[in-house]
Amino acid sequence: MQLQDKYRIALLSAYAIGIHALESLLPSPIPWMRFGLANVITVIALMLYGFRTAMLVTLVRVLLSSLLTGTFPGPAFILSLGGGVSSTLAMGLAAAVSQRLFSAIGLSIIGAFFHNMAQLVLAYFLVIQRIEAVLFIMPVITLIGTLTGALNGLVAAMVIRNLKKDIIEKMTVD
Amino acid sequence: MSFKSLLRDTSWADRVLFSALVAVSVAGIFFIRDVMPQGQSITIEVDGKPAYILPLDEDRMLSVEGPVGLTTVEIKDRKVRVTDSPCRNKLCVKQGWVGSGSIICLPNRIVVIIGNKAKKKGPDAITG
Repeated sequence: MQLQDKYRIALLSAYAIGIHALESLLPSPIPWMRFGLANVITVIALMLYGFRTAMLVTLVRVLLSSLLTGTFPGPAFILSLGGGVSSTLAMGLAAAVSQRLFSAIGLSIIGAFFHNMAQLVLAYFLVIQRIEAVLFIMPVITLIGTLTGALNGLVAAMVIRNLKKDIIEKMTVD
Repeated sequence: MSFKSLLRDTSWADRVLFSALVAVSVAGIFFIRDVMPQGQSITIEVDGKPAYILPLDEDRMLSVEGPVGLTTVEIKDRKVRVTDSPCRNKLCVKQGWVGSGSIICLPNRIVVIIGNKAKKKGPDAITG
């Protein structure tokens, strides 16, 4: 791994952890419902620097966030890890299939969907163990996840566009 | 750089995915509510032991055998009543239609509870 990559991963992870922490301060109508803004960073990492960077950023974020909030080996950590890893995997696969097929918004929706599904499956085994409750909540979570995923994707698309514009401007100035 | 141009940059796959997920989940919300009416159930206990657990939204009549005789219970329109009881004072019959709570027939040792509370067994709490 090159030094530049390490800096990049560290910086992106720091952003993700910061966003994650800020977001957990926001009040939410349902306790476990969050906007998932940290996923914006994963999408940006994936689209600009590739799958490896995105996965490392996700792992660092999940690990450090759980250490900071004190949920480390508990079920909350396992839920967070499962959701993060599977959503990054799914987004990486979708991006690998075709670069042009999905934009940041599509990738973000895929990420949100797999994040939610992984967490539901894990929650079923770890906490709930009532299949009818899981089936009941699944469409609701999918709907909310698709809407927030699309909004997150929009944010990611804005950031990516600005970053690219900066790079192009710098190159033309130089 | 505007909001509109960002939306224009979305691919057809994005839009198909978004619409499909929204449509499926909205349909799912209604579909699952239909398939699995998170309906309440009623529990009929005889002599302290649950004898029947029935859905509240299926109309039916049934007779329950107690120590004194047969108690007839009717479920209709998400309500329950005791239509006939072998006991003397017929308090359970006089109680009429009940939509929540319970009907208790002490002489015949029959308790009709709306909800699944009968599952809770054992002591409420232990101290010390």
